[in-house]
Amino acid sequence: MADRIIIACCVMLAVAYFYGTSQIPSLEIGDPLGPKAFPILLGIALLLATGLLFVEHLKDIKSADPQLQKPARPDRRHLPVLGVVVVWMAFYFSLFETLGYVVATTVFLLPLMAWFNRGKWLANTLSASLFSVGSYVMFAWLDVTLPQGVLPF
Amino acid sequence: MDTLQHIINGFAVCLQPVNLMYTFIGVFLGTIVGVLPGIGPSASIALLIPITYGMDPTSALIMLAGIYYGAKYGGSTTAILINTPGESASVMTAIDGYQMARKGRAGAALAISAVGSFIAGTLGVIGLTLFAVPLTSMALKFGPAEYFALMLFAITAVSSLAGKSPAKAAISTILGLMIATIGIDLQSGQPRYTAGVPELQDGVGFVIAVVGLFALAEVFSSMEEMIKGIRPEMIKLRGKLWFTREEWNRSVMPIMRGGVIGFVIGVLPGAGGTIASIMTYVWEKRLSRHPEQFGQGAIEGVAGPEAANNSDTAGALVPLLTLGIPGGGATAVMLGAFIMYGIQPGPLLFQNRPDLVWGLVDSMYIGNIMLLILNLPLIGLFVRLLYIPGGILMPFILAISTIGIYAINGNPVELYMLLFFGITGYVFRKVDIPVAPLVLALVLGDMMEQSFRQAMTISGGNPGILIGSTICVVLVALSVISALLPFLLPKLKAWREGAEADAA
Repeated sequence: MADRIIIACCVMLAVAYFYGTSQIPSLEIGDPLGPKAFPILLGIALLLATGLLFVEHLKDIKSADPQLQKPARPDRRHLPVLGVVVVWMAFYFSLFETLGYVVATTVFLLPLMAWFNRGKWLANTLSASLFSVGSYVMFAWLDVTLPQGVLPF
Repeated sequence: MDTLQHIINGFAVCLQPVNLMYTFIGVFLGTIVGVLPGIGPSASIALLIPITYGMDPTSALIMLAGIYYGAKYGGSTTAILINTPGESASVMTAIDGYQMARKGRAGAALAISAVGSFIAGTLGVIGLTLFAVPLTSMALKFGPAEYFALMLFAITAVSSLAGKSPAKAAISTILGLMIATIGIDLQSGQPRYTAGVPELQDGVGFVIAVVGLFALAEVFSSMEEMIKGIRPEMIKLRGKLWFTREEWNRSVMPIMRGGVIGFVIGVLPGAGGTIASIMTYVWEKRLSRHPEQFGQGAIEGVAGPEAANNSDTAGALVPLLTLGIPGGGATAVMLGAFIMYGIQPGPLLFQNRPDLVWGLVDSMYIGNIMLLILNLPLIGLFVRLLYIPGGILMPFILAISTIGIYAINGNPVELYMLLFFGITGYVFRKVDIPVAPLVLALVLGDMMEQSFRQAMTISGGNPGILIGSTICVVLVALSVISALLPFLLPKLKAWREGAEADAA
């Protein structure tokens, strides 16, 4: 199943890539091959590799033991949680500069730790806040400027 | 004679207090990232690149290399104590190392891997010192066509040896090359595939891709395991941290053989530490008079592979330094670091900056001594890192990755790109598409296209130039062979087994 999705995605990607290649303006300057030649080769190579995957997939189906099919329902409990983690990260990034590094990071870390390291409130609060402040100070010392945001220092 | 002088001068460079300090920071961080599952050497090196901008390139490279070879030491600890490789090349160490730990010989297993790593690591650096110069004199004859053929060989070798499915590895490689074409074309000045996004004009930063594909994806996978309640059982470290005389006698030859195999495999593109340690393990098992003990806690099964994956790092630096072409994921990231400091590794670097090259190489002798000390008397401290709950560690890695990417340009858009690569890396892992070929192709993509077009300009558009010299022919032939290898090997094996069956 996964293989079929990969094949479909690759074909779509190749089409999009060919379209993108056709959008590159060609000028009569620079090298004789121009900016399109190498990408065209890559697009063809992707289609060839996808074709190869299709052949591999057909072989897998042939050699698969019909007795051993479908080991119950796959465990997908993690997907909603991971989805929330991804959205939460995007939210963190969107507030990264406005709130500033220290505040945003503490706010970002706490719920994650509360979920994945359940029940250890003290340890979680301490490590989240110490990490944010400590890394801010350390990176300031290393001349890496992180957004200051709402804090006065 | 000149070279000898340069080698000695290199020691003067790396023994400067500031460089000793960076060597130490490098190997110390390397041990930490090696011990901690979740963040490997590639992602850590990538994360540190932005921080090292202002530094002297020699010191910066000494530190980054320290992370690279230091991680191999640390990786064995995790493999032995919790049966999870802390670093991918430690897979084989986990087999017998964990069994030894269950039998109360964790101390011996840790000690033999530290000593074996030290011996083999040093052997590897000696090899690097000896082989670097002869290779550079060959590399001076390379033109654009030869470089293109060499890079072609590097990427086909990596993709043919990565993962189970050759097609998926090829797809990964081609996607990497495609991502590399995003941005303004250097020769014509035309923007390509930027879709009007200004952040894409300079191309997709490989640091973003590496951190996303390796660090974030690993965090997502660990979170999945935590949700599903998979927890490895950790074995407490008890007793003396040393091996018996008998154990030592059994380990000496595996360490030596592993050291040599590791170095040779390291020099070749594609294979890398994981394959070197698997080969050593299989070989030691075959040579052993008690092959049945392998898998039950044979010390040879720890010493050999551990030695191999350490000398491999020095071997992998040979093509990187002499030809400027990396043969795997971590060295590709190192090449990215060189380029960001405005340094092009290759034969000319040996002529123009011998202080940098030899300072870096010589620092590895010192770094290995430091690692031996860190990993024997002080290993207890690093083991404590394994007690950090994953629920705290994983969010930390997310925050550290964020800082690292933000530090490059201070642009939040790149953070979303990081997240994109993190999700991609996680999905790739789920569907068994290897990411190392993508990273290598991404780093080499620009250079590959440029040398391809330069070669074509020289020949006036005749592709014959790509097989126009002996070096080219050999390299292209090697590329074709390595591309076909995954298809030929099973046939060869079946044929041999058939022949053996006939003979019996």
